[in-house]
Amino acid sequence: MRLGRDVLDGKLVVALLNALPALLIGSGLALFVGIPAGFALGRSRALATMFDPVIDAVYTIPPVAFVPFLIIWFGLYLWARVALVFLMSIFEVIIAVSTGARDVNPGFLDVGRAFGARGLMLAWKVTLPAMLPFLFLAVRIALVRGINAMITAELFFAAVNLGFLMNDDARRFDTAGLLSVIVLLALFGLLVQEGLKVLEARALPWHLREAA
Amino acid sequence: MRTLALRTSGVALVLIVWELVGRRLGDALLAPPSSVIAQFVPQLLDGSILAALGGSLRQMFVGFALAYAIGVPLGVAMARLRLVDALVHPWLNMAVVTSVAALVPLVILFLGTGFWFQVSIVFIAAFWFVILAVYHGARGIEPRLLEVGRAFGARPLQSFSKIMLPALFPYLFAGARIGLTHAIRAMVVAEMFVIVGYGALIHNAGLTVSTAPLLGLILLLMVLGIVANWSLTRLSRLLAPWYEHRAGG
Repeated sequence: MRLGRDVLDGKLVVALLNALPALLIGSGLALFVGIPAGFALGRSRALATMFDPVIDAVYTIPPVAFVPFLIIWFGLYLWARVALVFLMSIFEVIIAVSTGARDVNPGFLDVGRAFGARGLMLAWKVTLPAMLPFLFLAVRIALVRGINAMITAELFFAAVNLGFLMNDDARRFDTAGLLSVIVLLALFGLLVQEGLKVLEARALPWHLREAA
Repeated sequence: MRTLALRTSGVALVLIVWELVGRRLGDALLAPPSSVIAQFVPQLLDGSILAALGGSLRQMFVGFALAYAIGVPLGVAMARLRLVDALVHPWLNMAVVTSVAALVPLVILFLGTGFWFQVSIVFIAAFWFVILAVYHGARGIEPRLLEVGRAFGARPLQSFSKIMLPALFPYLFAGARIGLTHAIRAMVVAEMFVIVGYGALIHNAGLTVSTAPLLGLILLLMVLGIVANWSLTRLSRLLAPWYEHRAGG
């Protein structure tokens, strides 16, 4: 009921739309940095041995603990939220992509080499297509974690958009209003996740056939 | 030997870059490791930080233990009984994508900001991930094992404790590890939102001139996470070394 009313009168929709830039910029940056980094870690054993422990260690830090630090660097508004989204998704992207790059069937690489592919060409024509499912996974993780980070950021930095609505509802003991924001976020997260799964099934039908 | 050298050089490289960048930017923006050690270690030895951390961890453990105690049987039930699966799975899907932080204001309205508030935030955060791990484990149990049990006359509860639990063992540990990671995260979220305990220390350190104490507190959380992971892995190897090759310990 309440969710319907708030969505209809546009309050929630506007807040959600205003929240999106931080999500898109942050997840986009995380993918932009994380995919090449993950690729390098997955394909080079030496790099992986050098940096896996560091990444694992930093990954165990609760991201919210960085909030005061991010405030010092980025202030309270858009760029602070972007930074938190970036921090919360980058490690998961790196882990997903490096797992994918590591798991590429060596047979494919041998065939590529036998046909004379080397270095960049081998990476572009063989490794990359072979790890496409993991790239989809990386995008999905980046966005779902990003949505998570987006609302966290809106509550922990200056309360704006959805975070502002939640604070406002909480002050008036309006649990229906709070729940409608939470449900909206959950539905939005599910929509993004399932949407990307459908897209993946369309784009990579052979992958699903293999799995089945 | 070579592995060890590479590992050390990776960590060393990160520390050197941090030190150089930190010296350039100064303590106010990014304190280098040397000044983090110089400023944070005396504070740590003072004992009040560890006391605050201990208090926070106690609440975290209550929440985590509850989540684990309820999550494990529920995860198994979901995997084995279609009705439970149909009832719980939609909530599981929704909960896994939802941020714990978004639930904080709501839980505060119901429970205030005391002990039970923090326990329930940790509970909510860890619960679903424990279920998820156990669910995937229990789905993978070979039906043959259960059939043998039935052939030998095992009743449902017996087949749970004698067949399913041992088969689930690696997943129980995976669930504990993932759940604990999320529990620690949720602990920090809850405490930083209402500014108590260890979260308050982090919040207040953010207000000081130097970033050294703040980075020290963050690093201490990192050490905590590593120790928790490491000891759970150790424990599972001690208790069931034959699972070494499965489920990553």
